[in-house]
Amino acid sequence: MTALLDIKDLHARVGEGAEAKEILRGIDLAVGAGEVHAIMGPNGSGKSTLAGVLAGRPGYTVTEGQVLYEGRDLLALAADERARQGIFLAFQYPVEIPGVNNMYFLRAALNAVRKSRGESELDAGQFLKAVRAKLKHLDIGEDLLQRAVNVGFSGGEKKRNEIFQMAMLEPKLAILDETDSGLDIDALRVVATGVNRLRDPKRSIVLITHYQRLLEYIEPDRVHVLGGGKILQSGDKTLALELEKRGYAHLGSAA
Amino acid sequence: MSTIIKQEAAPYLEAFQSRESDAAEPDWLRDRRAAALERFASLGFPTRREEPWRFTNLAPLAREAYPPAPPPKPSKSRLPLEPYLVAGAAHRIVMIDGYVVPELSAIGRLPKGAWLGSTARALAERPDLAEAGYDERDATSAQPFAALNGAFFGDGFVLALAAGAVLEELVEVIHVASTVGRSLHPRSAVIAGAGSRATLVETFCGAGAWTNGVLRIELGADASLDHVRIQDEALDAIHFGVTRARLGRGARYESFTLTTGARLSRQDVQVVIEGEGARCGVNGAYLLRGQQEATTATVIDHAAPGGTTREVFKGVLEDRAHGVFLGRIAVRPGADKTDAHQLNRNLLLSPRAAVDTKPELEIFADDVKCSHGATVGDLDEAALFYLCSRGIDETAARRLLIEAFATDAIEATVSVGDLAAHLRRCLGVWLEQSGSA
Repeated sequence: MTALLDIKDLHARVGEGAEAKEILRGIDLAVGAGEVHAIMGPNGSGKSTLAGVLAGRPGYTVTEGQVLYEGRDLLALAADERARQGIFLAFQYPVEIPGVNNMYFLRAALNAVRKSRGESELDAGQFLKAVRAKLKHLDIGEDLLQRAVNVGFSGGEKKRNEIFQMAMLEPKLAILDETDSGLDIDALRVVATGVNRLRDPKRSIVLITHYQRLLEYIEPDRVHVLGGGKILQSGDKTLALELEKRGYAHLGSAA
Repeated sequence: MSTIIKQEAAPYLEAFQSRESDAAEPDWLRDRRAAALERFASLGFPTRREEPWRFTNLAPLAREAYPPAPPPKPSKSRLPLEPYLVAGAAHRIVMIDGYVVPELSAIGRLPKGAWLGSTARALAERPDLAEAGYDERDATSAQPFAALNGAFFGDGFVLALAAGAVLEELVEVIHVASTVGRSLHPRSAVIAGAGSRATLVETFCGAGAWTNGVLRIELGADASLDHVRIQDEALDAIHFGVTRARLGRGARYESFTLTTGARLSRQDVQVVIEGEGARCGVNGAYLLRGQQEATTATVIDHAAPGGTTREVFKGVLEDRAHGVFLGRIAVRPGADKTDAHQLNRNLLLSPRAAVDTKPELEIFADDVKCSHGATVGDLDEAALFYLCSRGIDETAARRLLIEAFATDAIEATVSVGDLAAHLRRCLGVWLEQSGSA
């Protein structure tokens, strides 16, 4: 069976001209349907660049290699099209958008996604019902959703809001970019529970994290170690434990 | 007549000589017209060497003369005014080319102490109101176009409220320009006695004429006026509007101006806080595209203690549009406990769009709280990506962000629900036509 996501020899740089810096230097990674992959690595290893390139964040240039999503060229699609095709990026730093109401935004997003799936758009009442069904597991008050997108949210609220959006949009491939960073243990538990609830044979998850801690709550099928823009080592969940014990340093200068 | 006559004033002097004078016109008005004309003749058009006009290019006005439009011929033909009508307006005055058209207007039942009608009718029925509404300072002011209006005006509207009169329903005035290449000079007044209250919405629309309007607002002690002004004239029109307001003790003036029309426009809002503890909100948005140029010039003069000013103007500019914001807040000696805040924020959606913004605080009193800020920027790329990453296409995402930027000013300042909704609708119409959104 072909993988949902198939990354082949991916090279990418950030910046332009003389400022350009190569960050990804040949990534090979295949994620099958329903699998959970953790990508670990020290700061500067290219984790967030990989997430950005997959989601279509502006500012990156792919110089070599390809990314196939459901067998098709992902890199040819604009960010919004990728999202409508089922890719979701949970941001490391969710963006505050003053003046744009959270509910209004999410309904517009959900209806855009539903429309491209050939499903009917939800009216305000149907949408509210769907929202309430998902909210209760994430410890998010409805009042939070009446505010502007992420404006005035605490760090934990922002991360929970990301997972809530993921729950609403029901992606096929979710990329969680350091969703655990800045969370205390209680918030981490809530977020991890939210993610686990979304585990599904039809949904693949790529967890990008610096620490093994998150993996105590979300058990990955595969763990990859990124260093110097390449995957240095892959293994099962025990690799994460080993890293926790020995650190990234033993992986040598490439890290 | 003065011996100094500016060259560009000559066609207007000729037009004045050849106009049919109204035999019934009272002497005071005749005298004021003559004085205002003389003032205009000696001032001529402002040049860019004058600071308040430094950023305003008057070339379109100087290229040709705009003879004053004659009163419109009576016609029963319906005007396409539906998009401009405000839900909940109980009193409507429709003006064509600066003249009230009674057949198109509908004034509902007014409470005791309220008078609403054309300036022409006020001259006949209530000359005291007409005279009070005509600002005699036009013969001495440095504003040449207000003086020109003072010489030529044919009509306008007068809203007068006796002490304590409260007009709960909206008053709507629609100014329609019907002739290209003519100048229109509506002159109107709101005279509100102590403790009175009203809500006024003015809309300017129609053909490529030169509208040159003047509105005088006199608010007595504790009087209150909510005022929305929408300028959506044709894209070859020229539009100048001067609003002068004087606020008595404890009075409240809350204004919002939306500028989307005209090739060249300038609106002056001048507020004098004359009585202790008066409060003004002077707000607005200018949404410009193509080659539009729009100047917003506000002067808030705190002449009494304890006054409050809240001022927010937002600009959205695409293509090669040019916006100018000149905001002066003066606090005179003795105007202690003045609390004034001004903010001008601009969104440039094209590399060729431009904004000049010039906030000015002049403070001559102690113990005041004053601040101002101005920003010019483009759409937040991070926010744009965030919206797109959730499946919203880029056009819709841009629109959402522009709408949020402009709506914010409406939400924060327009307290009358029907008016806020109407302004949001106007904003939506503008966004529909947007090339950038």
